[in-house]
Amino acid sequence: MSSLSARLLISVFILLLFFFGATIIALDIAFRDVGERAREDILDGQLMALLAAAELNTDGQLEMPFSLREPRFGNLGSGLYADLQDFDGNHVWRSRSSLGLELPHGRIPAAGVQEFSRLVMDDGTPLLALSITVQWELPGGELRPYLFYVAESLDSFNAQVARFRRQLFTWFGAIAIILLFAMSLLMRGILRPLRQIEREIGEVEKGARQSLSEGFPSELSGVARNMNVLIGSERARSERYRQTLDNLAHSLKTPLAAMRSVLTQQKSPQLTDQLEPQIGQMTEIVRYQLRKPAATASDAIGATPVAMEAEIMRLVDGLGKVYIEKQPTIDVSITDDAEFRGDTGDFLELAGNLLDNACKWCNSRVSLTIRPVNSDGGLHLTVDDDGPGIPEEAADALLQRGTRLDESAPGHGIGLAIVRDIANSYDGEVSIDASPIGGASIMIVIPPAANP
Amino acid sequence: MRLLVIEDDATLRETLCSQLGEAGFGVEQAADGREGLYFALEYPIDLAIVDLGLPEISGLDLIRELREKGKTYPILILTARDRWQDKVDGLSAGADDYVVKPFHFEEITARVNALLRRSGGWASSTLSAGPVMLDTSRQELKVAEASIELTSYEYKIIEHLMIRAGEVISKTELTDRLYDQDFERDSNVIEVFIGRLRKKMDPDNTINPIETLRGRGYRFALERNQDE
Repeated sequence: MSSLSARLLISVFILLLFFFGATIIALDIAFRDVGERAREDILDGQLMALLAAAELNTDGQLEMPFSLREPRFGNLGSGLYADLQDFDGNHVWRSRSSLGLELPHGRIPAAGVQEFSRLVMDDGTPLLALSITVQWELPGGELRPYLFYVAESLDSFNAQVARFRRQLFTWFGAIAIILLFAMSLLMRGILRPLRQIEREIGEVEKGARQSLSEGFPSELSGVARNMNVLIGSERARSERYRQTLDNLAHSLKTPLAAMRSVLTQQKSPQLTDQLEPQIGQMTEIVRYQLRKPAATASDAIGATPVAMEAEIMRLVDGLGKVYIEKQPTIDVSITDDAEFRGDTGDFLELAGNLLDNACKWCNSRVSLTIRPVNSDGGLHLTVDDDGPGIPEEAADALLQRGTRLDESAPGHGIGLAIVRDIANSYDGEVSIDASPIGGASIMIVIPPAANP
Repeated sequence: MRLLVIEDDATLRETLCSQLGEAGFGVEQAADGREGLYFALEYPIDLAIVDLGLPEISGLDLIRELREKGKTYPILILTARDRWQDKVDGLSAGADDYVVKPFHFEEITARVNALLRRSGGWASSTLSAGPVMLDTSRQELKVAEASIELTSYEYKIIEHLMIRAGEVISKTELTDRLYDQDFERDSNVIEVFIGRLRKKMDPDNTINPIETLRGRGYRFALERNQDE
């Protein structure tokens, strides 16, 4: 679960489920309880009415009037039933509504005690029953026990409860949906600054903006401020690193040049033999070590795509001047989708070293092709020449630092080693192959930058 | 040929200038960008060697300004910053070639000779016109395959005239190119050298390699050979 709003919505949903569930259960219990109490009261009233209606006949038997005040006793299967039994369990009277039905009886209560019971009829209909045993005083003063019994079917009550429950679910469900919807709207508003910060960081990474904007809510302004400080110090650090290398290179190379110059002036073969190799070695070390790739992975922050075509054209113009006597034909083909996100200097270093080597070694033709690695972009740069080519066994060695295939073309090896280092620093690879136009073909593949 | 070396490191500048002097070039030197720009604009120069990391005015700005002011002579960059970005910046600013420090002196002379030849429209280091052949790398003159002994001044004059074959070169320009600034200038000396050259190259007056244009100067008159 990576999104904050999804997390929050799911948490709220679970909370609502729990809270509304508990509320529904509590309301259901309360409603049922109140409903049953009311039923019991009504049943009690019915029983009292029956007791009031019962009369002794002339035979000294208890008798019920033909029609009672409660019409439901008179309607068949009305759901309200009553009967009257003597102490031996013989039916003295039963309501018309119960004709043909077997009414279940519960425990016989002690005399004068009302007893409620929940019973089930043979057909499964639930009943709420109330019975009372009454000691009826006969004219002779003798007491005879009778069992009065009223029962009401709970079908309609249960249906009412079910309807209530359905309504509860419907309303609470609707409220929950409205709450979640309102919540997600609120979240969108609340999380907007977070989204903005995310978008701005993305833009900084793509180089579309230099730093995060101001005016974030107080909870985020500290993060944004620290982020800006980090971006700034990262940029300054990489700039400082580059400048340090540059200055170091400059301050070492000029004295080396002066030493070499003085040595040449001395015209002493012995001194030259002794010192020239040392100067040569120092020169190689300084050239290689101080021409490290400008960019590292962390410098991807703020890296804009290099305007490759313009830079290549500058390079080709420059090389045209340097190789004016050889006048190699340099064919350039650049596909629009190709992209190099990084330092312009690094790009020039890649293309410059390869093109320079190709011009140095070619007979007359050099070709440079730039295309994307895949549909996401990336850089696939190939430089071909029609020179002598590079034997397969030498290719691996050439990609090592400072290896030279032929001392007559100084710098060939170091150039390729620099190309390899820079390509590697952008997660890229360099490979050497035979060119279709006859000489060497050197290929750099740098995958598309992982965009967030 | 007169070169201007603009380099702030004193040891490097002085040894480089003295070596170039030994190699037969007239050399002016400047220690910073401002002085260098002044010399480059005011002095008769055939080629400038410019360090990119100069105090006062950077090498790049200096080159741009020279090109803006219409100076077309070749410019060779000396640079300790050998990233391609710096080289390309220098070449785009108007330089013609670069040498990365620390260099071998032979690299400098090779580039300087090549640039000077190119500026005169010659493609190879051997300039050949009619029976005359001048090998600039070996500083050797042949006429009809026969080597001709030259003093260093004579060589400087014939090299200058041949590199700019077909163009009229004034006596003043030749004097400027021949001597260092503090040398006493006497245009009659040029006439003497030209006379000697003619005698050595064309004792029988058959090919007339050097023309005199009265009041204007001299011209190397032979047609450049086809393969040039």
